[in-house]
Amino acid sequence: MKNVHPVLRGLLMLVVGALVGYGVGLFLDYAVQSGFFANATELRFNAPVPGLFSLLIGATMFFFGLVGYRGVTRGLVFQVVGTLAGGLLVTGIRASMGLSLWGGFLFTEPAWVLGGLVGALAFLVGVGAVTDWWKWALGEPTSEHHHDEPGFEKYFGVSLDHKVIGVQYTVVALLLISVGGLFALIFRTELAASQLQFLTTSFKLFDQNGLQMYNSLMSLHGMIMIVSILLGIAGIMNYVVPLLLGAQDMAFPRMNAFSFWIAVPAAVLLLASLFLGGFDTGWTGYPPLSARAPVGMQMFFLGVFVAGWSSILGGLNIIATSLRMRARGMIAFRMPILVWASVATSLISLTATQLIGLSFQLVMFQRLFGMGFFDPDKGGNPVLFQHLFWFYSHPAVYVFVLPGLGVISELLPVFVRKPLFGYKWVAMSSLGIALVGFMVWAHHMFTSGMNEYLRVPFMYSTLLVAVPTGVKFFSWVATIWKGKIRTPTPMLFVLGGIVVFLMGGLSGPPNATVSTDLHLHDTYFIVGHFHDTIFGGFVFPFFAAIYYWFPKATGRRMSEFWGKVHFWLMTPSFFILTLGMMRIGLLGMRRRIADYDPTMGFDFTHLILTVTGYLIGVSVLIFIINFFHSMKNGEKAEGNLWESRSPEWLVPSPMPLENYEHEFEVVGEPYDYGLAGSRYVKFANEK
Amino acid sequence: MSHTQDKSTIMRQGVLIFIYLGVLTALEFFIAIAFENVPLLVLVALVKGGLVLYYYMHVYRLNENDGSDPHSLAYKTGTNRLGLWLFLLSDAFVFGGLMVARVNLLGMTRPHLNQTLGLAVTAVLLISSFFMNRGETAMAHGDRKGFLLNTSITLVLALAFLLGVVAVEWPTASHERLTPASGVAGAVFYMMTGMHAFHVLTGVLFLIVILRNGARGVYTAEKHWAVEAAAVYWHFVDVVWIFFYPALYLIGAAIQLAA
Amino acid sequence: MRHFVIVGILVIAAAVLTYAGLNAIGLMPVEASAQAIPIDWLWNLQVIAISFLFSLIVVPLVYSLVVFRRKKGDNTDAEHIEGNTTLEIAWTIVPLIIVVAFAYLGAYSLGETRRVDPNAMVIKVTGYQWGWQFEYPEYGFSSPTLYLPVDKQVVFQMQALDVIHSFWVPEFRVKQDLVPGRITEYRITPTLIGEYKVRCAEICGSSHAYMESPIVVVEQAAFEQWVGEQKLAAAEAEANATPEQRGQKLYETYCKACHSINGTAGNGPTWKGLFGHEVELADGTSVIADEAYLIQSIKEPQSQVVKGFAPMAFNATAVGIGDTEIQYIIAFIKTLK
Ligand code: HEA
Ligand code: HEA
Ligand code: HEC
Ligand code: CUA
Ligand SMILES: [Cu+2]
Repeated sequence: MKNVHPVLRGLLMLVVGALVGYGVGLFLDYAVQSGFFANATELRFNAPVPGLFSLLIGATMFFFGLVGYRGVTRGLVFQVVGTLAGGLLVTGIRASMGLSLWGGFLFTEPAWVLGGLVGALAFLVGVGAVTDWWKWALGEPTSEHHHDEPGFEKYFGVSLDHKVIGVQYTVVALLLISVGGLFALIFRTELAASQLQFLTTSFKLFDQNGLQMYNSLMSLHGMIMIVSILLGIAGIMNYVVPLLLGAQDMAFPRMNAFSFWIAVPAAVLLLASLFLGGFDTGWTGYPPLSARAPVGMQMFFLGVFVAGWSSILGGLNIIATSLRMRARGMIAFRMPILVWASVATSLISLTATQLIGLSFQLVMFQRLFGMGFFDPDKGGNPVLFQHLFWFYSHPAVYVFVLPGLGVISELLPVFVRKPLFGYKWVAMSSLGIALVGFMVWAHHMFTSGMNEYLRVPFMYSTLLVAVPTGVKFFSWVATIWKGKIRTPTPMLFVLGGIVVFLMGGLSGPPNATVSTDLHLHDTYFIVGHFHDTIFGGFVFPFFAAIYYWFPKATGRRMSEFWGKVHFWLMTPSFFILTLGMMRIGLLGMRRRIADYDPTMGFDFTHLILTVTGYLIGVSVLIFIINFFHSMKNGEKAEGNLWESRSPEWLVPSPMPLENYEHEFEVVGEPYDYGLAGSRYVKFANEK
Repeated sequence: MSHTQDKSTIMRQGVLIFIYLGVLTALEFFIAIAFENVPLLVLVALVKGGLVLYYYMHVYRLNENDGSDPHSLAYKTGTNRLGLWLFLLSDAFVFGGLMVARVNLLGMTRPHLNQTLGLAVTAVLLISSFFMNRGETAMAHGDRKGFLLNTSITLVLALAFLLGVVAVEWPTASHERLTPASGVAGAVFYMMTGMHAFHVLTGVLFLIVILRNGARGVYTAEKHWAVEAAAVYWHFVDVVWIFFYPALYLIGAAIQLAA
Repeated sequence: MRHFVIVGILVIAAAVLTYAGLNAIGLMPVEASAQAIPIDWLWNLQVIAISFLFSLIVVPLVYSLVVFRRKKGDNTDAEHIEGNTTLEIAWTIVPLIIVVAFAYLGAYSLGETRRVDPNAMVIKVTGYQWGWQFEYPEYGFSSPTLYLPVDKQVVFQMQALDVIHSFWVPEFRVKQDLVPGRITEYRITPTLIGEYKVRCAEICGSSHAYMESPIVVVEQAAFEQWVGEQKLAAAEAEANATPEQRGQKLYETYCKACHSINGTAGNGPTWKGLFGHEVELADGTSVIADEAYLIQSIKEPQSQVVKGFAPMAFNATAVGIGDTEIQYIIAFIKTLK
C-alpha cells in the first residue's frame, strides 16, 4: 500500500469502509428490528441505518487511506464514537425510565439528537481544534507560531495559518457544491417530465418513498448549497483579507481553525439527515410540518445549528481582524473594497445567525420536550417561527453576495486599468445593504397570514435595498466605461457575475411589491430569482476569485483554455435555466413539487431546464478537474500575473508562510490605475 | 487603565453601584405590585443594565488607546476585548430572540411563579456580580488573596443561583402544573430560564478555571486577561437576567393553570 | 460625447425590444378575477422598468467590451477617473424615487385587491394533508369541488387542520396561506367562466404536489342550479345511505389521500384486507385489526403505529369524525376484502 497514490489509497479504503459500514448497519438494523433476535424478520437492505453507517465509516476510511490516523480521520472516528456514545447514554437513561429504547432508525429521536451533538463536539476534540484552549484552561503555554509540516497533509489537520484555512474552506465548499449540485441533478431528472419517473410511490430507500425522497433531496440541495456558500465566502475572506490588510494572520487564529473545523461535522450531520428518514419541509423548515417530519429533520436542524457557529465565529474574526490588524496608514477609506464587503457581511453573520439557530432550536425542543412554541393546540404561533427564521435568512442572502460583489469591485479596476469609480460610495453601499437588509425580513411572509398592516412598511424597506445595490451597478459600469479592458478567465466571470446578478436583482422588486408577490410567492419565479442572485452574487465571483488568486496560493495558474470552456458552457446554460424557471413560474409552476400537472404544458420547458442543469454540472466538473490538475501541472506564475497594485501581488507567489517578510505602509489610494507615479503601499525595505 | 486609579476609590464605586442596583430592584418589584407600568419597568431594567455595562463591565475600555505597537501585550488585550464584546453582542441576539418569542406568545400575561423565589435568585445573582467586580479589581491591583476570596464567593453564589433555578424553581413550577409541555407559558418559561441557566453553567466553568489558575499564580496585575474576560462574561449573564426577571416575573397578569 | 449618444440610442432600442419581446410571448396566465386586474397592471409597469434598467446596465457594458478593449501590445493604463459626486448622487436619488413610486403603486394595487363587497358569499375552506374541502354554510352542504358564480365576490374563511397550506389559483393571481390555529381570509371575484384548479402553494409534506382540487366558475343561474342539486343530493344521500356508503364517502373525503383500497401502500398502509388480519407495529409487537384496534388507531393515531410508517399525522376528530362516523368507516373497511 505504501507506493500507491494517496488518493487511490483513500478511494480503496472508501469502498472497503462503505461495505463494512453497510454490513455493520445491516446487522444492527436487523438486531433492533427483530427485537434482538426474538422473532427474526428479513434483512432490510434499503434501510436507513446501513446507509448511514456506510457513509460514515466509508468517509472515515477514505481519509485514513489518504493521510493516515490523524487530523480529520481522527475527528471522524471521534464523531462516530461520540454519536454512538451519546445515543447509548440517552438509551440507557430511557431504559431506567421505562421508555422505549429503539426506534425505526436504530436509536430513538432524543438519542439521535444528543448523539449528533456529542458526535460533533467529539469531532472537534478528535481533530485537535480545541487542544490549545484546553491547555489555556489548564494554564499551560501554547505556541503562537505556525508549525505546519510541508506537503498536502497539512490541509487535513488543524492549522492556524489563515492561508491554509482559506484553502480548506474553499475545497470543502467545492465539495459541498458538488454534492448539493448532484442532488439537484437527481431531482431535476425526476422533473424532466410530468408524472413520476423514478421517484415513484413504490420507490423505497432509507425509509422514504419517492415523493419523500424528492423533498429530502430538494431540501438538502437548498441547505447544502447555502452552507457551501457560507464556507466559500469564508474561504475567500480568510485567504485574502489578512493579505490585503498586511496582517500576519487573523486576529484569532485558533478560533479561525475552530470555525472551519466545526463546519465539517456540521456537513456530516446535514448529510446524515438524508439517511435518517430525510425531511420534507424545504430548507426553511416551517413548523408544524417540521414538527412532524422524521428524525432526519433533527439532524438537519442540528447540522445548521452547528454550521451557524462556524459562520458566527468566522464573522467575529473578520471584524476583529479588519479593525485591529491593518497595516500602518490604512485608514478606513483606504481599505480595499473587499475588506469593506467582508466587514459588512460579517456584521450580519455575527448577529443575525443566532436567530436561525434559535428558531431551529425551538422546533427541536418542541419535538423533544413537547414545548409548544409553534403548536397552536398549546397556544403556540406557527408564524412566529417564520419571523425568527427570516430575521436571519433574509440578511443571510446579503451574506452570500456582499463578498462576491466585493470581489467584483476588487477585480474590475485590475482588468480595466482604471480606478474604481466612486470608491467611497461603493464602500458605503455594502454597509447600506447590510443595514437595510436587517429591516426587510417579512417580505418572505406576505401571504403568511401575519399582521396585514406590516406588509406595506416591509415593502418600502425591501425596495429600498435596490438603491445601494444600484449604486454598485452604476459604479461598475462607470468603471468599465473607457477602460482598457482585458478579458482573461477571472474577468469573464466578473462580467458574467454582473449580468447574472443584475437579472436576479431586477427580479427582486416584483417580489418585494406585495400585490405582485401574491402571485409570485412560492413559484418557480422565485426559484429563478434566487438562483440568479446567488449565481451572480456568489458562484460567478467565487469562480473569478479562485481563478484570480489561485496563482497566489500555488505559484501556478489554472488553464486559461479550460477556464474559458467552463465559462462559455456554464453561462448560456445558466441563462436558459433561470429564465426558463421564471417563465414557468409566472404561468403557475409551484415550488417544491415532485410532479406537475401535465395539462399546464410545462413538460418541454422542464426538459430543457434539466438538460441545462446537466450542462452546468459538466462545466463545474471541468472546473474541478482544472483546479486539481493545475495545482501540480499548471503553468508557473510566480510574479504579478495580473499587474495588480494590491500588496499581495507585489511579493512572489506562492505566499510565504508568515505572509509579508517586510511590513508595508499604505501611502496612496488602492485603485489609482492610470495615475503616473502613484503607489498604494510601500514596503519597509524600500526607500 | 483602570488600576491607575486608586484601588479603594474603585472598591467604593463598586459598593455604590451595588447599592443602586439593589434599590432599583426593590423599586422594580414595588412598581410591579403597586401599579404595573410596563414602560417604567423597561426603563428601570435599562438603567440597571446600563449601570452594570458601564461600571462592572467597563464597556468604555473598548475605546481605550492601547498603543500602536501591534505586538505589545496591551494591544493584544485590546483585540481580545473587542473579540469578547463582539461575542457578547452576538449572544445578545439569542436572548433578544427569546424575548421576542415571549412577547409574541404571552403578550401581557405571564406564568404564575413563586415571587419569593424569583426575588431570591435575582438577589443572589446581583450579589454575585458585586463580588465578581471586587475579585477582578483585586487582581487588577495584584491582590491575589482578595481575588481568590471574592471569586470563590462569586462561585458559591453562582452555584446557588443555578441550583435555585434548576433544582428549586423548576420543581416548584412543575408542581403547580407549569411544565415544558403544558402550554406556551411553560415552554417560554423553561426555555428562557434554561437558556440563561446554560450560560450560567458556562460562566461557572469559566470561574472554576480562573480560580484554579489564579491559585497557581498564573495571573498578575499586568497580565490577567482571562480574569477580566470571565468577569465581563459573568456580568453579561447578570445583565441578561436583569431583563429576563421582569419579563418572566413582573410584567403582565399571572395565568393560573387549572388544577 | 459620440459614445454617449450611441449608447443612449442603443439603450432605448434594447429596452423597447426587450419589453416588446416579453410582451409578445405573454408572461401571465389568463386573467380570471377582478383582483388580477390591478396586479397585472402593476406587473406590466414592472416589466417596463425591468426592461429599461436591464438595458441601461448591460448595453454600456457590452458596448465598452467591444469598443474599449485593450489593443494588442498596448500596455498602458486607462485614463485616471476617480469618480463624480454629482453622478453618484443622481444615481442614488433617481432609483430612490423610482422605488418609492413603485412601493406607492404596490400599496395602492394591494388596496384594490382587498376591496370588500359586504354582500360577498362566505365559503369555508378547509385544507389538510392533502386535499381541500369546501363548505357552503349559507346552503348547508360541503363539496370537494368549488363552484363559484361569475362576477360575484366570495370570501373564503380558511382553516388548516394539520400544517400550513396555501390557497392559490394562478388564474386568480392572489394567494393566501392557511395556518393551523387561526382563520385566514381570502377574497376573490371570478370574472371568467371556466374550469381552474386550486393548487396548494406551500410545501405540506410528501403529496404537496397533488393537493389540487377543481374549481368551476359558472353563470349565476347555473350556480343556483348546482346548489339545488347538491342540496337535494346531500339530503337524499343522507337519508338513504347505508353505513358502508357513508363510510365510503368519508373515506373519499378524508382518508383517500393516504390510504389506498387496492393494496398499494401510500403514506399510510392500505386498507385492503385490513380487517381481521394481523398488523405488525413499530414497537415490534403485532395485533389483530379488530374493531377496537381500528377505533383506537383512528382516535389515537400515536398509540399504535404500524411498522414502516410514521405515526398518522391526520387528526380525525378535528374534522368532526366522531364515534358514529368511525362506525361507518369501519363498516366500509370491512367490505374491503
Ligand atoms: C443572494 C441572494 C439574494 C439576493 C441578493 C436577493 C436580493 C433581493 N431579493 Fe431575494 N431571495 C433570495 C435570495 C436573494 N435575494 C432567496 C434565496 C429567496 C427565496 C427564499 C426561499 O423562500 O427559499 C429570495 C426571495 C425573495 C423574496 C420573497 C419572495 C417570496 O417568497 O414571495 C423577495 C420579496 O421581496 C425578494 C426580494 C429581493 C430584493 C428586493 C432583492 C434586492 O436586494 C435586489 C436589489 C438589486 C437590484 C434591484 C438590481 C440592481 C439595481 C439597479 C440597477 C438600480 C435601479 C433599480 C431599481 C430602481 C428597481 N427575494
Ligand atoms: C448555492 C446555491 C445553489 C446552487 C449553486 C444551485 C444550483 C442548482 N439548482 Fe438550486 N436551489 C438552491 C440553491 C442553489 N441551487 C436553494 C437554496 C433552493 C431552495 C430549496 C428549497 O426550496 O428549500 C434551490 C432549489 C432548486 C430548485 C427548486 C426545487 C423545487 O422547488 O422543487 C431547482 C429546480 O430546478 C434547482 C435546480 C438547480 C440546478 C439545476 C442547479 C445547478 O446549477 C446544479 C449544477 C450541478 C453542480 C454544481 C454539480 C456539479 C458537480 C459534479 C457533477 C461533480 C460531482 C462529482 C463529485 C462529487 C466530485 N434548485
Ligand atoms: C396524512 C395522511 C393520512 C390521512 C389523511 C389518514 N391517515 Fe390513517 N394512517 C396514516 C398513516 C401514516 C398510518 C400508519 C401509522 C399509524 O398507524 O399511525 C395510518 C394508519 C391508520 C390506521 C391503522 C391502519 C393499519 O393498517 O393498521 C387506521 C385505522 C387509519 N389510519 C384510519 C384513518 C381514517 C379513518 C382516516 C380518515 C378519516 C385516515 N386514517 C386518514 C396516514 C393517514
Ligand atoms: Cu398543502 Cu402543500
Ligand atoms: Cu429576502
